[in-house]
Amino acid sequence: MLESIVSYGLAIGAVYALIGITYNVMYSASRVFSFTAGMLGMLGGVLGAVFISRLGLNAAVALVLVLACGAVIGMVTEVLTVRPVLKSIEQHLYVLSTLAFALMVQQVTAIEFGTEAQPFPVLVPIESGWLDQKFWLPLLACAVTIVGLELLYRRTLIGRAFLAIAEDSYAARALGLPETRLRLACYAIAGVIGALAGFTGAQMLLAYFGNQAILNFYGFVPVALGGMGSNRGAVVGGLALGLFQQAAAVMFGGLHAAIAVFVVFIVVLLLRPEGLAGAVSGRRV
Amino acid sequence: MSGVASSQRKLMTSLPWLALGLVALLLPLFDDAYVGVIAQRAFIYWILSAGLNLLVGFAGQIAIGWVPMLTLGAYTTAVLTAGTVTEEWNAYLALAAGGVVGAVFGVIIGLPALRLRTFYFAMTTLGFTTITTQVALAWKSVTGGGVGTPGPVFPWPFEPGWGFYYLCLLLAAVATWMTANVGASRFGRALIALRDAEVAAEASGIAKPRLLVLIFLLAGALGGVAGGLFASLQSYITPDAFSFEMSVLFFIAILIGGRGSILGPALGTIILTALPEFAAPLVQWSTFLYAALLLLIVLIIPGGIAALLDFSNRRPLPQHREILPQPSLLRAVLGRQQAPQQLDLRGIELHFGGVRAIDGIDVSIKGGEVHGLIGPNGSGKTTTLNVISGYYRPTAGTLSLDGGALAAEAPPLRAAHRIARTFQTPRLIGDVSVLENVMIGGTLDGRASFVESLLTLPRHRADEVTLRAAGLQALAAVGLDALAEVRADRLQHSELRFMEIARALMLRPAFLLLDEPAAGLSAEEIRRLGALIKAISREGVAVLLVEHHADLIFDICDHVTVLNLGKVLAAGTPAEIRSHREVVSAYLGA
Amino acid sequence: MNRRQILAGSAAGIAAMATGLAAPALAQSEPIKIGYLPALTGPSSSTGIGMTRGTELAVAAINSSGGINGRPIELIIRDTQSDPTKAVNAVAELTQRQRASLIWGPLNSGEALAATPLVARNGVPMVHPCWVDELIDVKKYPMSFRNAPTNTQVGGGANHYVVDVLKLKKVAVISDTTGYGTASVNTYVPMLRAKGAEVVYSNHVDAANPDLRPELMRMRAAGAEVIMPWSVNAGFLSRILNTRGAMGWDVPVVGQTTLGSGQTRALLEKPEFWNRVYSNNFRNCCYANGQLPASAAEFVTRLKGARVEFNDTLLWWVANGWDAMFIIAEALKAAGTKAQDVVNHFQRVNRRPGVFGTISWTADQHNGFLDSEVVMCEVNSLRDGAFNLAPGY
Repeated sequence: MLESIVSYGLAIGAVYALIGITYNVMYSASRVFSFTAGMLGMLGGVLGAVFISRLGLNAAVALVLVLACGAVIGMVTEVLTVRPVLKSIEQHLYVLSTLAFALMVQQVTAIEFGTEAQPFPVLVPIESGWLDQKFWLPLLACAVTIVGLELLYRRTLIGRAFLAIAEDSYAARALGLPETRLRLACYAIAGVIGALAGFTGAQMLLAYFGNQAILNFYGFVPVALGGMGSNRGAVVGGLALGLFQQAAAVMFGGLHAAIAVFVVFIVVLLLRPEGLAGAVSGRRV
Repeated sequence: MSGVASSQRKLMTSLPWLALGLVALLLPLFDDAYVGVIAQRAFIYWILSAGLNLLVGFAGQIAIGWVPMLTLGAYTTAVLTAGTVTEEWNAYLALAAGGVVGAVFGVIIGLPALRLRTFYFAMTTLGFTTITTQVALAWKSVTGGGVGTPGPVFPWPFEPGWGFYYLCLLLAAVATWMTANVGASRFGRALIALRDAEVAAEASGIAKPRLLVLIFLLAGALGGVAGGLFASLQSYITPDAFSFEMSVLFFIAILIGGRGSILGPALGTIILTALPEFAAPLVQWSTFLYAALLLLIVLIIPGGIAALLDFSNRRPLPQHREILPQPSLLRAVLGRQQAPQQLDLRGIELHFGGVRAIDGIDVSIKGGEVHGLIGPNGSGKTTTLNVISGYYRPTAGTLSLDGGALAAEAPPLRAAHRIARTFQTPRLIGDVSVLENVMIGGTLDGRASFVESLLTLPRHRADEVTLRAAGLQALAAVGLDALAEVRADRLQHSELRFMEIARALMLRPAFLLLDEPAAGLSAEEIRRLGALIKAISREGVAVLLVEHHADLIFDICDHVTVLNLGKVLAAGTPAEIRSHREVVSAYLGA
Repeated sequence: MNRRQILAGSAAGIAAMATGLAAPALAQSEPIKIGYLPALTGPSSSTGIGMTRGTELAVAAINSSGGINGRPIELIIRDTQSDPTKAVNAVAELTQRQRASLIWGPLNSGEALAATPLVARNGVPMVHPCWVDELIDVKKYPMSFRNAPTNTQVGGGANHYVVDVLKLKKVAVISDTTGYGTASVNTYVPMLRAKGAEVVYSNHVDAANPDLRPELMRMRAAGAEVIMPWSVNAGFLSRILNTRGAMGWDVPVVGQTTLGSGQTRALLEKPEFWNRVYSNNFRNCCYANGQLPASAAEFVTRLKGARVEFNDTLLWWVANGWDAMFIIAEALKAAGTKAQDVVNHFQRVNRRPGVFGTISWTADQHNGFLDSEVVMCEVNSLRDGAFNLAPGY
């Protein structure tokens, strides 16, 4: 019983954390909360199933293709739904444009791929030992992502430019940084991370168009609780959420777990709107 | 002047409603029950959407998942009427109970929106949509679980069939009437102001939480009532009847209709309800089409159907318009001034982390005087203004009005002290008229309560007449009366600056804080602006003028304070400042 | 393009309104309208797609052999999209605007629960194959008939197999959260207890839940010897079988017919996860010693002749649609199109043999299926949409 809570809870938590990081990367680049985070996760699983099960591709090739698709879709998101509404960001039109785009992609997936959840193939051709690969794959992906982002931000010039934009896009532009191109790159990275989350989590979550809404919500909970923009908060929050949810599911059933998560989410936000670890946002005048 | 124009406008806005009402009343004559069912569905959906429209279209809250209110109302009405849990209730009483339950949950779900950013609220409603359905499934003893429960059957005079049709029509008409009343009241304008120009709304004394709670109550209640009717129309309700797609449909219908409109969303709801019935092959793709439509609307015609129907704002405006302020009208606009008041800043400091944005400044602003605040970029001018407006809590120092302390960090409370302001970038509501933008400034003077406005009781109508007259007068005073009915986003930049002053004047301010009002104006316009500001101060108003145009400052100011690096570099009369050596070398550059 | 397709469009909708207003006297060759409410899209559409094949084939057969006393049947299909809301709209259209003489369907309980009271209110006779017991009530819905077993009969068959044939006493009962699923569990658990079995686990689980491992672990911890799942959702059922397989837990699974559908098989991780799975079926549509009963064998030949697909459907679905249309046609032929006459005829149907099953209706019993025709089958024996009878029959 405990083993199921820990293994599944941590694994699903890692997927939530990755979706949370997807939210964060897009938010840092543009101050936009995008509904496409869950969509990217959903597509990671669905596209993986299409490439491996339907087209018979090798798992490694499929992974590369899925991540490339994620990057392209990330960039489409930026060009189509974010860039045109950035100048009036106060009106929050990005909520509508990203929602519309996510719904369109979801509906196309439902029609072209089917509304039935499909099993996702085993990726690594090894016998499952004490821990099944569907559990350690998301955790591995989460660790790789964190380390990768950290190296990118601290060790590379472009990464520092990302940080500069996230800190203060005005000043960054004044320094002559190509803000638009950097933002596009950030959305591509977000696309890769979201797709990776979906791909590595799909043996648990299955390839299913309905995962979009689930990941949108459960991926947002850790960032809302951990503070928007904080990747550390997203990872801690995501893993905690996964464990909490799975423990509640095993002990009381799935329905009660969903209600418990929702209540915790609302209560925390009412008491601390900026999240448990977040900072108060600045003024707007 | 405006009597004919306004009655004509009234006719124009009510004409589509009369046409819709006529069609609705004649429909039963055809006795086609299928059309009847579709129409009942459209009425029921509209009852929910009418309330949601105030929330989404007016207040700009992204309530994607409002179907839970429908679910709650439906189950409340059905369960109470069925008598499985309580005594059997009268169906009409049960319907009212559905409205009450909807209202209560509307507020509960709305609570996070009072403090949280838009997207968080969107997520909350999404999560709540899932939870409601799951609870309905799990709570078998009451809801019947997945098997569901029979819907209520309304007794005489609204029995199933055309009787029920009239009940839906009646309630849809009431919902339309009430939400239209709110929309056209100062509450409706305040909602739009919170949506598009929250900062200006706060400066006008609009308290967001209180107003939003009222709207959540109303939208929840209408959703609940719609749910009760829905349960009766369906004859039997199961949790799977309340899908997320339905939520999306309501939400998109409103945005397609156009934000800030009542007619547009009503048409949007009717179209989206009826369309799938007549375009069966498209049904599979309907969500895709709705979403695509939403994206198009957001990117290309943010005004939706309502903007397409707004013919009066397509007529070209005259070129080469002149802004001719009439300072003689100021006395009437500002009313009888009280004794001049004084605002004192003593030792104000404001630190952001290690940066000292303001580093101990003393300024006094007196009624009847124009006080200029100048200095290079980053010297703390606007920051000082923001401290006075209550946006920042000073790290040290005191802020007092006629000797009494002024609370920090409370922008909406400033209006009550008659402290008005304009902004460096004009804060406007683009898709309503100039007059309505200006009327925002007078929100605080309305006396009718929300309920009085909801029902257009006499006090509400008196408010509207007074506010409209005051708004026109303020516009005439700043020289924009000819543009009163024009949509604000069609104005030129310089006109917007004067519009902001008119909005500030609506507060009948004792203090007027102007943040670079001359930026982007022509020399002639600056001259007229100067005369206007001077005239305002002569009515006893204390004006604080943050400006870069040195000429304007020295022309009209009675007193000038020069800031540099957050400190007062010099203070005195314009003549003294002109001869101040450091100022000349550091700033005036002469 | 046939008339039905035109009617789906809007132009014909207006034309139909015009004819409705004119209300012409029915000519001798005027088609007889039958409204049909399958779910052809949406999550519960596989049954609808299968039954529609049988229904359309029957209509074609009846019409090509002279129709009903010379009048052809016009089948007006309205896809309910597995959505009760759409079913309500469609009932209004079919009964009021199209003035259908009879309604066949809806085929899913969720839609039937909403549609049945409305059809009854309009005084139109109705035949449907939905299992939920409450859907047949001679007082509330005097014109509604069921041409299929009730939930009680279906569950009774499965319970009988578990307790009396397999001799297992500790049972885990699981369903999805749909109306059908919850109703089934609520009905079957007391029935199992009455038969002396011990229900060690019973729960409703959201069909979209990706991870059923906790549920199965709770079953195993409770000592369950058999899993009885009740759901029409192939994804949900396949996840139960996959999880059982992955856990290496060798208990039989006995339950809903969809356990044996091609969709369920397509979602299995390994083919052997389909072993020791027994689903409901109907004696007339099962292989006994490798042979179908004569009527079914003949029907399969006919279907193959008409090139009806079998890869994604079940024989009994197709057969049920076929039988329903013939029972309806026989009633219309014998009694005319007046609602009460049709109902009176239905109430005298006695032991009418069919490809799917034997139907008997009386004035106070509108459920017409025989208990003895509800059987269990081995799902891994699927061939041409039919299965071998489970061991023990």
